[in-house]
Amino acid sequence: MSSIVVRVETTPKIGDGMKDVRGDSVKRQLAADHNIEIGSVRSIVGFLISSEISADEVDSRVDDVFADPIIEESATDSLHLENKELFSQEPDMVVTIGFKPGVTDNPGKAALDGFRTIFPDAGSDANVSTYLTYVFEGVPEGVKVDWLAKQLHNGLIERVLYSLKGEEFPLIEYTPIAPSNYAPPAVIDLEVTDEELVKLSEEGLLALNLEEMQTIQAHYRDPEIQASRAALGLPENAPTDVELECLAQTWSEHCKHKIFAAHIHHIDTETGEDTEIDSLFKTHIMKPTLEMKEEVDWLLSVFHDNSGVIAWDDEWSMCMKAETHNSPSALDPYGGAMTGIVGVNRDILGTGLGARPIANTDVFCFGPPDWEGDLPENLFHPSRVLRGVHAGVRVGGNESGIPTVNGAIVFDDRYIGKPLVYCGTIGMMPRRLPDGRESHVKNPEAGDRVYMVGGRVGYDGIHGATFSSLELTEESPSSAVQIGDPITQKKMLDMILEARDAGLITCITDNGAGGLSSSIGEMAEYTNGCKIDLGKVPLKQEGLSSWEILVSESQERMTVAVRESDVPAFEALANLHEVEATWVADFTNTGQFHVVHGEDTVANLPIEFLHDGVPQLRLESEWKPPQNPEFNPPAEADHSSLLLRMLARPNIASKETWVRQYDHEVIAQTAVKPFVGLERDGPGDAGLLAPVHGSTHGLVVSNGISPRYSDIDAGAMAAAAVDEAVRNAVCTGVDLSKIAGLDNFCWPDPIESKKTPDGKFKLAQLVRANRELERICRAYFVPCISGKDSMKNDYGTGENKISIPPTLLFSLFGNHHDVRYTTTSDLKPGESLYLVGESKQELGASEISYMLSESGESDGIGGEVPRLPNPEKNLESYKALTKAIQSGIVRTAHDCSEGGIAVAIAEMCIGGRCGAAIDVDGPGEADLWGRLWGESLGRILVGVKQGNREEFLATMKGHSLTYMGEVTDSGTLSVWDGDDLIIESSVQDMVSAWKGSLDMTGGVQ
Amino acid sequence: MMTQKPKVAVLFGFGINCDRETAAVFELAGAESERVHVNLFVNGERDLSDFHILAVPGGFSFGDHLGSGRLLGNRMRFAMREQLSAFVAAGKPIIGICNGFQVLVKTGLLPGREVPDFEQRASLTLNNSGRYEDRWVTLEFDPDSPCIWTKGITRIECPVRHGEGRFVMPSTTDLDELNENNQIVTRYVDPETEPGKGITDEELPFPICPNGSIRNIAGICDPTGLVFGLMPHPEAAYATFLHPHHTRGEVSEEILGEGMQIFRNAVEYAQANL
Repeated sequence: MSSIVVRVETTPKIGDGMKDVRGDSVKRQLAADHNIEIGSVRSIVGFLISSEISADEVDSRVDDVFADPIIEESATDSLHLENKELFSQEPDMVVTIGFKPGVTDNPGKAALDGFRTIFPDAGSDANVSTYLTYVFEGVPEGVKVDWLAKQLHNGLIERVLYSLKGEEFPLIEYTPIAPSNYAPPAVIDLEVTDEELVKLSEEGLLALNLEEMQTIQAHYRDPEIQASRAALGLPENAPTDVELECLAQTWSEHCKHKIFAAHIHHIDTETGEDTEIDSLFKTHIMKPTLEMKEEVDWLLSVFHDNSGVIAWDDEWSMCMKAETHNSPSALDPYGGAMTGIVGVNRDILGTGLGARPIANTDVFCFGPPDWEGDLPENLFHPSRVLRGVHAGVRVGGNESGIPTVNGAIVFDDRYIGKPLVYCGTIGMMPRRLPDGRESHVKNPEAGDRVYMVGGRVGYDGIHGATFSSLELTEESPSSAVQIGDPITQKKMLDMILEARDAGLITCITDNGAGGLSSSIGEMAEYTNGCKIDLGKVPLKQEGLSSWEILVSESQERMTVAVRESDVPAFEALANLHEVEATWVADFTNTGQFHVVHGEDTVANLPIEFLHDGVPQLRLESEWKPPQNPEFNPPAEADHSSLLLRMLARPNIASKETWVRQYDHEVIAQTAVKPFVGLERDGPGDAGLLAPVHGSTHGLVVSNGISPRYSDIDAGAMAAAAVDEAVRNAVCTGVDLSKIAGLDNFCWPDPIESKKTPDGKFKLAQLVRANRELERICRAYFVPCISGKDSMKNDYGTGENKISIPPTLLFSLFGNHHDVRYTTTSDLKPGESLYLVGESKQELGASEISYMLSESGESDGIGGEVPRLPNPEKNLESYKALTKAIQSGIVRTAHDCSEGGIAVAIAEMCIGGRCGAAIDVDGPGEADLWGRLWGESLGRILVGVKQGNREEFLATMKGHSLTYMGEVTDSGTLSVWDGDDLIIESSVQDMVSAWKGSLDMTGGVQ
Repeated sequence: MMTQKPKVAVLFGFGINCDRETAAVFELAGAESERVHVNLFVNGERDLSDFHILAVPGGFSFGDHLGSGRLLGNRMRFAMREQLSAFVAAGKPIIGICNGFQVLVKTGLLPGREVPDFEQRASLTLNNSGRYEDRWVTLEFDPDSPCIWTKGITRIECPVRHGEGRFVMPSTTDLDELNENNQIVTRYVDPETEPGKGITDEELPFPICPNGSIRNIAGICDPTGLVFGLMPHPEAAYATFLHPHHTRGEVSEEILGEGMQIFRNAVEYAQANL
């Protein structure tokens, strides 16, 4: 029977308590972002149903599936806009947006599921696509419809139609997904000149350099290899496109971390140092962690799995992973960020034999949301990037039922070219499964069946790994963009955790970068071989070529190995959960990565060559300290008004509007939330969880990031990130004997070339950052158990090139003895205030230095950047403070970071809605600017009730501690420098300044 | 009077998210709870009548596409109709929290009739703010409500976490009828008011009423008082240390928080009556 396409439209009823909130939101957003006041915006949701069900039949059940009869009007096979009862006036403009065919349409998928509940006979090919129509009335003059349409859609993934008054209404038609152009496996001739090898790599988006191409060329010249290929019916002396693509994915910077593994010749022009470094990763990250592993029994699994695992107690282990999704988020902020968050959730699900994600952290770096300067072609305005990324992470996290417990948003002009989207997830698993196996150990055997579970493979997501290893240009391909499908993933997650507990899984990993080629390829190392049949892989559209199926990064897929005897139980579980699970491969012990497509062998690569064949890069590094004009603040300054200006700075201002839209307490475990205090709007320093219901045993999650210190020294930047993460955790009363870290580097391209003439300097920044990372991690005893690097964060070329500031996000998770014994940053009545740590004259690259140089009140940001000369001493005072917190005598603590003591105390007053009087005149050499605004590391402001003072002082004896002042009930913050009143600011003014600048809701609630 | 622990079926699958904590909280309240995949009831492998209490937890069933709770509501309305009718006829309590409330409204079990007819009479629609938000609210309860879940509770604080929580009915008469039957079990109230005196029909401002719900309605029950649904999450206030103000006073020795009473009430009801 042939398919019929039926159109259904719904629109909210208006009046008598009913309103069109979706339309109202668009109206408010246009007002907030563009200052455009539109009379009214209404919305229509459209469904195009292709099935064997007639329009009459659909119409008879339309209120059972598509429309909610209480709040919506529906129409079948007609346009709402033509109904004069609903739309009595002809609108000024109409904009209709639908997805391009092949782009994930989540509402359409859900609608199809609902449709099949009512119409089981809809037909196996039934499909639903959706669209959204916005109807504008009262559009001010000068607003063009094409501009309006551009604000509402993304041309990479969506199609748009629009009309003006008097024109025919736009009509989106059902467009079936076109079959892809199948091409039989091609043979790629590598017996060509070096230039042609490079061209092959560039034109094929392979992102392989000449030496790598030559290594592949040499492989196919090996007579033994040639003989084995002949036996399989493969071209003897040349790769198939399947093989070349597979190598490009596996050897990509994204998968192999070639820069961190490189041999580096490093010169320091300051000190005269001239050294060779064999792999930054092995030297500064792996070695220290492995040495620390010798000293403790709680590091269960480091580096080799999808995330690092620690023993939390005798029954449970915890794991954590942070990922970046920068390039996709630049092209499609919403889809890119959503695939980022649901992707890192899969890393957790793919750890050991499967861990359950229990918390997310999100850290974003964007251009300033109020940016008024020029924007390069094809880049979105930072406010749109912010909205899109936020929405993607919100939907991805909330719909998956994983709380977002901690994070940050950092702003700098240079992130306009490439936003950074760091998504982290913590997972939890039983130490042992019911069958006695340790859950952090994978144990597949040759003969196990390999299933692909979850979504299907489509044209979307081809070349993500290699694409992210290239810089972003105007020609960047749209196939690298995808939209996540949290519900498909959630069903898969439910099913896999049941399969794990039933003992059905021997090995599991996620399908991320590189698709099946990476996931099965990596797992095949355990048994030393695999055989994949691409003909079995379920596809979203027909006609995909072999190499496309192998490397496609289509989302929501896990690769799971199952013993043959467990197959019936595994398939039954998949069936119950309505999850597609397909047997696509077998583990072998042949030493080969063998790929067939039906009857034909299309690739055969030795496992060893695939994983260890990539040649080591040799790179040059040279450090010359950057020259920055000095930070020279005006002699006379009104620090009260500076405080209000500082509180409104995007880097400091409250992100409440954004963060409150994340579910931060699903699972009912979040004991310290992102917002604290009397009005629940003060800043939380770290997340604190009690993951086992009924128990007070806790887990701390925190982050540290300070990219602008790289303008002076990337080493100091790295040290500051680690210290900030630890400091934040200390503020919750973390158990410092069990903390673990994640290093997540985002760098501009550090390889010197024609397009990167300053590559040596950028690499030297990386060397310095790694050295400081190692030094501080050793001193604090924070093993780095998992990490990630993203090394091509540049946009454009030549003079217009924008490179991000070298950025290290340091994420930390650690043990907590009892979540009741913790602190929050809000001041409580009757507390005395103390400073742990000391203020030094360190104003270089501080937030105040940027503010005053941007406004012309200072020449620049140069000066001493905060450093950690003696981290061992900091650790001792952190230990004393956590002891005090764990004994319940301290209930208030807040770390000093951007904006120094002045901003920290202001935030504490905001959280407590009370005043304070403090004196910043204390020990140390720093001047007033340094003591007020300097960002010296290792400092925490603490509030202690009268009755606990003595015990607190005894606990802190011998550590750097300065009495600062008292909490007052005056409603005013007073900051003194000896006898001089430097700052006087009402709490209400501080609240307005701090909460106003990033609110962007359009003012309506 | 039953001697063993009442058995609670906590639904999961298809994007239900709060199943683990809901199951845990019933256990802490003295019940024996089990997470049961929706399809096990649909395909008949499990029988709803083996349980004494049914919980439909929060989450994003089917991504809330086509309206929150609608698609899961349809599965229950069409594939579990008889089981649900029998469950209600047997006088067994049902709770729907957040997405679960939306599901119960869209199946027609809430506000419902004495004998379920599975007709939808109300809806939960987009918050007036247009935003999903997680924030703590203050709830007050109708002391004269027949709702068995809320006996003896005057006021509690717990979080809302939703984008579609605005309760609406087609007409004022419908709301008046609900009110006369004391089916408006709980409403958002101004925390500054005296406990017991916060309930009002007047539209309270954001964020006291976080979604613009008509008459500040946060939760309702069916005419029997056995079926209860609410947008806020009492299970997320099961422990004292989950309250955002727990660090503002001394460390609490008591672990269980004020959200527990709702679950205890149902467990005690089941023990006494089933």
